[in-house]
Amino acid sequence: MVSHSSSVIVRHVRLLATPATILVLVAAVIPLVVLSTTVVRSADIISIWQNPAVQKALVFSLWQALLSTIFTILVGLIATWYLTRYQFRGRQALITLITVSFVLPTVTVGAAFIAVLPSWLHHSTFAIVLAHLFFNISIVVRTVGPRWNSMSDQLIDSARTLGATPLQTWRHVIMPLGKSAIYSSAALTFFMCFTSYGIVTILGGPGLATLDIEIYRRAVQLGDLSGATVLAVAQMLFITIASLIWSRSRSVELMTFRVAAVSQHKPAVVPKLFIGALTIFFLAPLLALSIASIRTGQNWSFSGWKVLLGIQNQRGLQVDIWQALLTSGKYALIASCIALPTGVAATYAFSKNGSTNGRWSSLAILPLSISPVVVGLAILVTYDFAPFEFRSSWFLIPIVHAAIAMPFVVRATLPVVQGIPPDLRSAAATLGASPWRRFCFIEIPLLRPAITTGIAFSMAISLGEFGATSFLTRRESQTLPIVIADLFGKAGVIPRASGMAASLLLVIVTGIIVLSVDRKPHV
Amino acid sequence: MSLVIDNISFSYGDRDILRNFTLQIPPGKTTAVVGPSGSGKSTLLRIIAGLLTPATGTIVLNGYDISRAPTHLRSVGMVFQDNQLFPHLNVYDNVAFGLRMAKVDKRIIAERCQELLNLVGLTEAAKQSVATLSGGEAKRVALARALAPSPQVLLLDEPLTGLDNELHDRLAQDLQRILHATSTTALLVTHLIPEAEVISDAIHHLIDGDQSPQVGIRH
Repeated sequence: MVSHSSSVIVRHVRLLATPATILVLVAAVIPLVVLSTTVVRSADIISIWQNPAVQKALVFSLWQALLSTIFTILVGLIATWYLTRYQFRGRQALITLITVSFVLPTVTVGAAFIAVLPSWLHHSTFAIVLAHLFFNISIVVRTVGPRWNSMSDQLIDSARTLGATPLQTWRHVIMPLGKSAIYSSAALTFFMCFTSYGIVTILGGPGLATLDIEIYRRAVQLGDLSGATVLAVAQMLFITIASLIWSRSRSVELMTFRVAAVSQHKPAVVPKLFIGALTIFFLAPLLALSIASIRTGQNWSFSGWKVLLGIQNQRGLQVDIWQALLTSGKYALIASCIALPTGVAATYAFSKNGSTNGRWSSLAILPLSISPVVVGLAILVTYDFAPFEFRSSWFLIPIVHAAIAMPFVVRATLPVVQGIPPDLRSAAATLGASPWRRFCFIEIPLLRPAITTGIAFSMAISLGEFGATSFLTRRESQTLPIVIADLFGKAGVIPRASGMAASLLLVIVTGIIVLSVDRKPHV
Repeated sequence: MSLVIDNISFSYGDRDILRNFTLQIPPGKTTAVVGPSGSGKSTLLRIIAGLLTPATGTIVLNGYDISRAPTHLRSVGMVFQDNQLFPHLNVYDNVAFGLRMAKVDKRIIAERCQELLNLVGLTEAAKQSVATLSGGEAKRVALARALAPSPQVLLLDEPLTGLDNELHDRLAQDLQRILHATSTTALLVTHLIPEAEVISDAIHHLIDGDQSPQVGIRH
């Protein structure tokens, strides 16, 4: 057997983490350090917590995140079980739908729920929890799914032959075997909901705000940069410490995007009903979005689309949708070009000796839970001094998008890299393949599906990124999510219809990219 | 504790796996069904365990028709081909699993597990993770686990597959001794006639779902 040290990939394993480290340093760490050391007034460190709005935002962030996590895990586990154990018509389509929902821009998810829910539920915690469920169920399905999928039917059969009832089998076999994956998905869901910005911006209305929204409000609307920074750093520290404590006591499960599906069972009545309800839950908001885009008040009208596409003029409403589409496309392309090589290199650094280093795994989960709003604010403050006056430069946006998307590339490629048997490289070596040729002819072809998934997800994340972009965008470089948020911020039925139309456009563009590159996402 | 399998038929789609299979196992005896791969042996065991539903036929255990009973209420123990030990539980907890499901008193569970681990020669391995067991040890744990709840009938699905010759022969002898010592009514399916000859009291052949007459009886 050829040792790992002879592989070109593993020989320079530490150096491979360099691009990822630089990216994370430039886009997150340095700005966060600068932010916390420059603008904070020492008095604010204590006094800001006495502010009623801050207290309210903190309590709301915690409790809506807790509620959303419990709800998402409950529904997500049932969905995961049925999707991994049963074969039914439309199963692949439902998996795709759930996958796409995870990368949908948060503002469009918010808009879709505005469209589907009755108006009395619009600015409610219920609406937020429901949207978080829609958005995050994919985390549970894709983290716990591979675990349960690899569990043999006979293991469950053996529990049954030992006298376990279906409930006992769940409690003593199925749940314990998925335990670490369930904990990991719960942690990630909680962090995603705790730092939720786009969804709460739209569905929370003026009354309900998370800490992220309060940070944005303080920094942009009140000009209280010091207070906003104290909150941002506190949130960062809370998430970092919580992640580390969580990952120290448990093995961290990665979210995977490609695992072969093996399911032969045909669902009975209850699973069928659940699957039907789940399909409606995922389709209804998108259908409602389509309908709302052609409704102006009580009438059917294409005015929203016409204004959006520049066919019809509306006073006080100037939207350059083509420019926004072009800008979004450009950023998505650049972000994926940065995120892909950086992420793949980092994957090899993480998978040293064929097993994932625990600390590295927990670091891989961390960027997903750092609030993009905090990153945006930090960059705005940091790159404002000569010779680093980049705050108005457009290229900062795709760099930040790449930093946010990179963990997804790692998550897509890591299980594949780890799954390559060392003997495969050895076999190639005994057939005369040099380390470089082994990489090109063995590893790259095996990694290809994961790479395409990584590209699709990077592009989708960049297309939908809202939190950081809302800080960094300029009038001439507005992305589609910013245009959508602007439209929803304007009064009147036509801006609302245009906002719905723009949201639908973003869903379509995102869906096309994800489906064209990553045609068969598996659970 | 006799097991009567009467006129069982089973098919996957158009393909008949078992055709009118009938078998009677006397109390405390081990019967073997021998046949090549794909002959329907494992299907037969899964039907008896309630993991598959036959198209026709009945299964009567100890005078009771269990054909429609759910698996966990059948009192049927099973040793799977690849053991299927629970990876998150240690050796002791694997053996105790069935007793815990039946909510047996902790003290009795401890005694019973000790007794069974003694019987299979693994007393020292009680706290060991099942991942660290050798092939032979894992088979012994699987057997102890299946015997622990004192099932009325034990089903053995190619229980000695994958072992080297020496270990295979030794475990076959041990298995015969344990089944005899515990007076367990058992049904063994295997593709190896010599294995069946060592372990069982009677042998039946199964070829492509069809049963040939009983070919050998010991004792």
